[in-house]
Amino acid sequence: MDLFWIFAAISGLGLVGYAMQILAIRRHLGGQENRQGGGAAHPDPDSSASLEFTDPISVLKPLKGLDDNLFDNLESFCLQDYPLYEIIFSLQDRNDPAHKVAAKVQERHPDRDISIVVEDCQIGLNPKVNNLLAAYRRAKHPYILISDSNVRVGPDYLRAIIEPMRNPAVGLVSNPIRGMGGRTLGAIFENLHLNSFIMGSVCFLDRFLRMPCVVGKSMLMRRIDLEAAGGLFAVRDVLAEDYVLGRKIHSMGLKVVLSEYPIDNVNHYWGVRRFINRHTRWGKMRWRIGGFRYLFELISNSVFVSWLPLLFWGPTGSTVAFAGGVSVLKMAGDYFLARRISARIPFWHFLLSPLKDVFVGILWFAPLLSRSVTWRGNRFRIGPDSLLTPWRERPAENAFAWTAWFSKRTTVSGRP
Amino acid sequence: MLLCDFHIHTTHSDGSVDLPRVIDLFGQAGFDVIAITDHVVDGDNAIGKLGRFLRLSVTEKKFGDYMERLRREAQRAWDKYGMLVLPGVEISKNYISSDRSAHLLLLDLKTFVPASWDYERIFLEAKRQDALVVACHPHHQSDPTSKDTLFLWNNRERYARYIDAWEIANRDDIFNVISLKKYPYIAGSDFHKTRHLYSWKTLLDCERNVKDVKRCIRDNRGVAITLFRN
Repeated sequence: MDLFWIFAAISGLGLVGYAMQILAIRRHLGGQENRQGGGAAHPDPDSSASLEFTDPISVLKPLKGLDDNLFDNLESFCLQDYPLYEIIFSLQDRNDPAHKVAAKVQERHPDRDISIVVEDCQIGLNPKVNNLLAAYRRAKHPYILISDSNVRVGPDYLRAIIEPMRNPAVGLVSNPIRGMGGRTLGAIFENLHLNSFIMGSVCFLDRFLRMPCVVGKSMLMRRIDLEAAGGLFAVRDVLAEDYVLGRKIHSMGLKVVLSEYPIDNVNHYWGVRRFINRHTRWGKMRWRIGGFRYLFELISNSVFVSWLPLLFWGPTGSTVAFAGGVSVLKMAGDYFLARRISARIPFWHFLLSPLKDVFVGILWFAPLLSRSVTWRGNRFRIGPDSLLTPWRERPAENAFAWTAWFSKRTTVSGRP
Repeated sequence: MLLCDFHIHTTHSDGSVDLPRVIDLFGQAGFDVIAITDHVVDGDNAIGKLGRFLRLSVTEKKFGDYMERLRREAQRAWDKYGMLVLPGVEISKNYISSDRSAHLLLLDLKTFVPASWDYERIFLEAKRQDALVVACHPHHQSDPTSKDTLFLWNNRERYARYIDAWEIANRDDIFNVISLKKYPYIAGSDFHKTRHLYSWKTLLDCERNVKDVKRCIRDNRGVAITLFRN
C-alpha cells in the first residue's frame, strides 16, 4: 500500500496545483466575473483615458469550414463599439462553406469595413498562416488582430484588447478562452477542459511564473513589431505559431500581456474524435516545446492519478473512497471556476468532469508514442519547438513499428 | 445562388432537434432558404396509427400550434439570419409494401391536409393552396434503415403532372432515374439529426422570397444541387 500513498501524495499535489490555478484565474479576472456579454472584463467606460486610446485595427479572420455558431462569432466582430477598424475574412477556397456565412455577415453590415479575400497562398506548412497571408497583405491599419473563427466577443472587446497597448513596452496582447454551450459529449468535454485546465494553466503561467503565454485565438500586435519579428513568414512552418510569435516579440524586449478580457469559444456539436484530435495535437505541441515540463501536466491531473489505484488494486473501500473524493473535489472546483468566469454551462455537465479528466490522462501519453499531427486535413511530423515537416511514414520512428517488423519476420519464417 | 434545404424534420415529428435549434443550426451555417417538413402520417392504417400514438406526426389538432411556432421562428430566422423559412409537411403514406408507400412534401402550406386523402385530392388541395408538391426519396435508398417509398415512381405516368419537383438527391442518395426522365428536381437532407446538415442541398438562382423560390422550383430553371460538406 506504500504505492497507494504515493498516488495519494501526487493527487494531493495536483489538487493544490489546481487550487493555485483557480487563484490565478480569480486574480487575473478579479472582480470582473459578473460582467455579461462576450467578455467578463473591460475598461471602465467612464474613464475618459480608456476611451481615447482607439487606434485603428485590422482584424484578420482566417476561415475554414463551419464552426459551431459561426454566424454569431463573425457577426460579433461587426458589432464592436470602436471608431475605426476593418475586418478581413480570409479563405483559401471559394467553395468553403464558411465563405457563404462570411458573405452573409458582410451583406448584413454594409456600414462596416468588411472584405473577403479568397486566395490559396502556400508559403509554408502551417495552414492557418497560409490562410492568413492574403489578409495580412491587404490589412491597412497599424494594429493587427489575428482572431480565430470560433470565438465570439462582446461589443467592448476591441477597446479592451487594445488598452494594454497604451504602454509602448507591450508588444502582444492575447485573451483567455472561455468554453460555452455543449450538446454532445465531445463539446461538453471541450468546454470543461477549456474552462479548467486551459484557462487555469494560461492564467497560472502568466500570474505566478511570469511566462509569456499566448493564446492564438486572439492576438493583437503592432504591425511594425510583427514585421520586426519576421512577420508571418517567420512562423510559416511551426504548429504553435502563437507561442513562437510571443517568444519572438518577448525576445525583442517587449511585453506579452494576457488581457483580463475572456473570449467565448462556443462548442455545441463537437464529436469525441475531434476532442481527441485537438488535444493530442496540443499535447504533442506542448511536449515538443516544454520537454520534461510536460510531465507536470500528468501530475496535475489529480483525478487521473486518483483513479490509478482502482486500476491496480481493484475496487476496495480505500481506492473507491480516494478516487471518489478527489473526483468530487475536482468537480466542485470546476463548477466554482465556471461560476467565477460566468461560463453558462448546465450543472449536469460537471458530473462528466472526472470522466473527462481520466480521458485527458490517457491522451497525455499520445505525444510520447507518436510525432505525427493531423490539422485541417493535413498530416505532419512535429519536431522541436513545434517545427513541422511533411509526414512520410518511417517505420523506425513509429512507436508501433515493432508490430510491422514482427509481422514481417513471422511471415518470412512461415514460408515453406 | 441561394443555398436551400427543403426537407427538414424537427421534434414536432420524428426529428431529434427542436425547431429553434434547427433554425439556429441552419442559420449559423449560412443557409438562405429552408423548409420545415414534419411528417403527417396516414392515421387510417396501422403504421400511421402507431406513428400518431408515438407522437411522431403532426395531427390536425396540433397543426395550428405547429404553424404558429413555425411563423414565429420564421420571423426570427429572417430578422437574425436573413433566412427564409417555408412552412411545410411531409405527407407520409406508409405501408408494409414499399410499392404502396409514398412520401410527399407540401411546401408553403397554409391549412392542414390529411395524409389519409387519396392522391388526387391531396394534389388538388395543394394546388388550391398554391403549395409546392415534391415527391421525396422516390426510388431505392441505400440506407438499410430507411424504407423505400416507390408508389409515386411506379405510378409516375399518372401522377407526374401533379408533382412540381422530384427529389433527385436525398441526404446521401442520388436517384439518377429522375435525371434520365428529365423530371424537375431539387435535393434535400431529410434532416433528422445534426449530422444530416452535411448532405445534398439545392442551389437556386433567384431572389430570396417565397414567390420567386416557388417559381424557380416550378420552372426548374436556375436549379442546381450541391453536396454540402464541411
